[in-house]
Amino acid sequence: MTKPLLEVRNLVKHFPVRGGGFSFVRQQLKAVDDVSFTLLPGQTLGLVGESGCGKSTLGRALLRLQEPNSGQVFFEGRDILQMNRAELKAQRRDIQMIFQDPFASLSPRRTVAQTVREPLDVHDIGTSLERRKRVEELIELVGLRAAILNRYPHEFSGGQRQRIGIARALALNPKLIVADEPVSALDVSVQSQVLNLIKDLQLQLGVSFVFISHDLAVIQHISDVVAVMYLGRIVEQAEVSSLYASPKHPYTQALLSAVPAAHPAAGAKRIILSGDVPSPISPPSGCTFHPRCPAAQAKCQTTEPRQTTLHNGDYQRQFTCHYPLGS
Amino acid sequence: MTRPVLEVRDLAVEFDTENGRVRAVNNVSFSVNAGEVVGLVGESGCGKTVTGLSLLGLVPSPPGEVVNGEILLDGHDLLKLNEVGMRKIRGGEVSMIFQEPMTALNPVLTVGYQMTEVLRLHKSLSKRQARNAAIEMLGIVGIPVPSKRIDEYPHEMSGGMRQRVMIAMALSCGPKLLIADEPTTALDVTTQAQVLDEIVRLQHQFEMAVILITHDLGVVAQTCQRALVMYCGELVEAAPIDSLFASPRHPYTQGLIRSIPRIREHKIDRLPVIEGMVPDIAALPEGCHFADRCNRVQADCHERSPVLTPSAEAGAVACWHPLEPQHD
Amino acid sequence: MAAVPETIVFVAAPPRQGLWSKAFHKFCRDRAGLVGLWVVLLYAIVALGVWLGFWAGDWADVTGPKWGPVSAQHWFGTNLIGQDIFARALYSTRTAFELGLVVAVLSTFVGAVFGAFAGFFSGGWIDELVLWFMGVIDSIPFYLLVAAIAFSLGDSPYAMYIAMIATFWVGTSRLVRGEVIKLKEFEFVEAAHAIGLSELAIIFRHILPNTFHILLVQATITFVAAIKSEVILSFLGIGIQDGMSWGLMIAESTIEVLAGFFNNFIAASLLMFGLVMAFNMFSDALQDALDPRSVR
Repeated sequence: MTKPLLEVRNLVKHFPVRGGGFSFVRQQLKAVDDVSFTLLPGQTLGLVGESGCGKSTLGRALLRLQEPNSGQVFFEGRDILQMNRAELKAQRRDIQMIFQDPFASLSPRRTVAQTVREPLDVHDIGTSLERRKRVEELIELVGLRAAILNRYPHEFSGGQRQRIGIARALALNPKLIVADEPVSALDVSVQSQVLNLIKDLQLQLGVSFVFISHDLAVIQHISDVVAVMYLGRIVEQAEVSSLYASPKHPYTQALLSAVPAAHPAAGAKRIILSGDVPSPISPPSGCTFHPRCPAAQAKCQTTEPRQTTLHNGDYQRQFTCHYPLGS
Repeated sequence: MTRPVLEVRDLAVEFDTENGRVRAVNNVSFSVNAGEVVGLVGESGCGKTVTGLSLLGLVPSPPGEVVNGEILLDGHDLLKLNEVGMRKIRGGEVSMIFQEPMTALNPVLTVGYQMTEVLRLHKSLSKRQARNAAIEMLGIVGIPVPSKRIDEYPHEMSGGMRQRVMIAMALSCGPKLLIADEPTTALDVTTQAQVLDEIVRLQHQFEMAVILITHDLGVVAQTCQRALVMYCGELVEAAPIDSLFASPRHPYTQGLIRSIPRIREHKIDRLPVIEGMVPDIAALPEGCHFADRCNRVQADCHERSPVLTPSAEAGAVACWHPLEPQHD
Repeated sequence: MAAVPETIVFVAAPPRQGLWSKAFHKFCRDRAGLVGLWVVLLYAIVALGVWLGFWAGDWADVTGPKWGPVSAQHWFGTNLIGQDIFARALYSTRTAFELGLVVAVLSTFVGAVFGAFAGFFSGGWIDELVLWFMGVIDSIPFYLLVAAIAFSLGDSPYAMYIAMIATFWVGTSRLVRGEVIKLKEFEFVEAAHAIGLSELAIIFRHILPNTFHILLVQATITFVAAIKSEVILSFLGIGIQDGMSWGLMIAESTIEVLAGFFNNFIAASLLMFGLVMAFNMFSDALQDALDPRSVR
């Protein structure tokens, strides 16, 4: 068996929040609550869930852009969370990030060349000439022309900016890229262009991705393994085809059926969940999904379900439900 | 045949920008029948929102200006109305819901206050009557315990709830036409499904016409009977939903339908794409604006602009070399 | 690296202007702003001329009679002891520019640095400390502070400069702090963290450049504030110590006005009014032109 590139164990990230009004009682917002997963080299893990489920926080915690409260993040066997400043800086070469908002993720007053070159400067890689050549390579790699290097970000469209962001992430030849909703701010016809680019780059460079998105169709296209998050926890985790073909967790099933079918004829029966996602400050008792779950029973209100693991060839399949579907 | 509630003829809207005057909407004509849900689809900057705003006389002026066209609501041209007359139409016969439920409600006023304001303005109800009507409306759009929630402030509600409040406000005066501009884009998938269902249900209940402005063809497929596709300020295709999806005539529509990532039974390696990018509206190419990105382009496409021509199956397409209609 | 066969190579968008030149073009369309700028430039040339010794070198010399009238030799007349009021007014322009520039540049710099640190570490002890410090300075009446500094420096000519810088940075700092708190949530700051950049580099390379539009406008506002404050401080006798300024001219003119001679007073007030007015017009136009909402 291949050694995992990334192994996350029991990761927890809580945010302290003040109670309402004049109350000074500190409460905890459980943004990421006891999350574990592994990622093999060259693979893409799709992290999917609704807004506020903690998927972005989890992505940032992997890079320590948000300091996790507890847990372990092993990258090639070394725990990132135990590293000191210098070790962490060195580690940054291997893990990079692509951001959601192409308008906010590039410094407005820095040229494309300065932006893409900065990682090389910070880590002092190559001579000045080599850096310039590398920047040109990178910008062509993401489908742009080197002639644009002296332009400023505001001169580009969303899709082009996202390509610049990808070039910056690739500058250090990382082994893992955390991509946080990289296409959700883009127009539909540009989305597929950028998705194809990411897939090409992955095939060509062998980079692993943690790909965060709320869009199940995008996740299906890009991922090898998918983890579904709800209220800070991974409720189901499986290889992509089996997850989409036969979801085990009722939440996964509901999410899948809520996606508008891109064809009027494909009028599958849809499950519409009632209510909203509860507040992560005071999540419901038992299984946190029970107030909205169409299959909830008495036990779900009181007892927290434990994770079940099924082995299915090379892949594991995990879900956290008392009454999984199709069993 | 049903009489159209709304008929738009040759609408053109221009904007003054730093790069000169640009035409954001050009030569747009369409009609909406009573009880029909029509989708207005396109990518950002294609003019779909401006078209929606101009129906209510809400195009910001300056810099915008409706330079040509007629907007006939039940046969009366809205563009000929003055501001006072237009105000009677807004929120009364035609109402609109917006994309961002967070900013469309005033954060310092209760939901009830904002709802009764509309009712008292258009229907001259007493305070008590308006409140009761508002509570009833909130119940209709599926808000639990409306008599309690009416006194809440917008920030106490979730995004889905707020969008329901917006819908309740929009519907409270029984409009003939509802314009919904990306009503679910800011919402999560599960909430989006709820809200779309609600709009369809209410549309039946109130027998009104709906124009659903969206970039999401999935939303259109699920809710609309007919769709209008816009590109660079112009209508490029109009067709009933079934034939639009089964057999798009315009290469842009086809590209759009194909390129959207959707859940498939079998994964594919590469998504089909429309090459290139939307041209800058200030510097549109000659002839067909889509020609540079089109996979069926021929020499004449660069010379003459195609006009929207009715085609088979109650559709219309603006293309010199449209795809053949397929029958299956 | 090998060529990528399947990615699409874009033609980049048509060349457009940079952020600054865009703002410049917008500024040029503002008539009031342009008039303001030209007037300010005129004053600047006058000040530069004084500084280079081209004119008004004789401001301290007695060149005419007491309270001489307006004449070809003395354009604004002469004062109580026969000095040329025009020369004195011109010389004061230099004083005003010197004061305005020094105070504007230094207080904006101090404000930017403190504001950026407070904003970047908002909620932490650095922020608390800076906020406390700003609160303390805000709570001391400005003229009292100048008097105190003047006293403690033993009537140093720099007392007023120091007092102004010590006071005026607070306003800039608060603005910058607010902007930085907003900016640091932007993903480009996270991106800078992610590539391993140090916090200092992030503040100075990525965040502060994005507050330049605020700093520029703040500097012009501070410039005007400094000139206006100088008049009152000099009038009170705790302003300019040696040299000449509009404030000193007005202070001088009190005796003259009582005797019915207004030349000194009018010359100083009008010149100051012209500069302040022009600078304000320029500053307003600058603010509009640099508004990031329209520049983006």
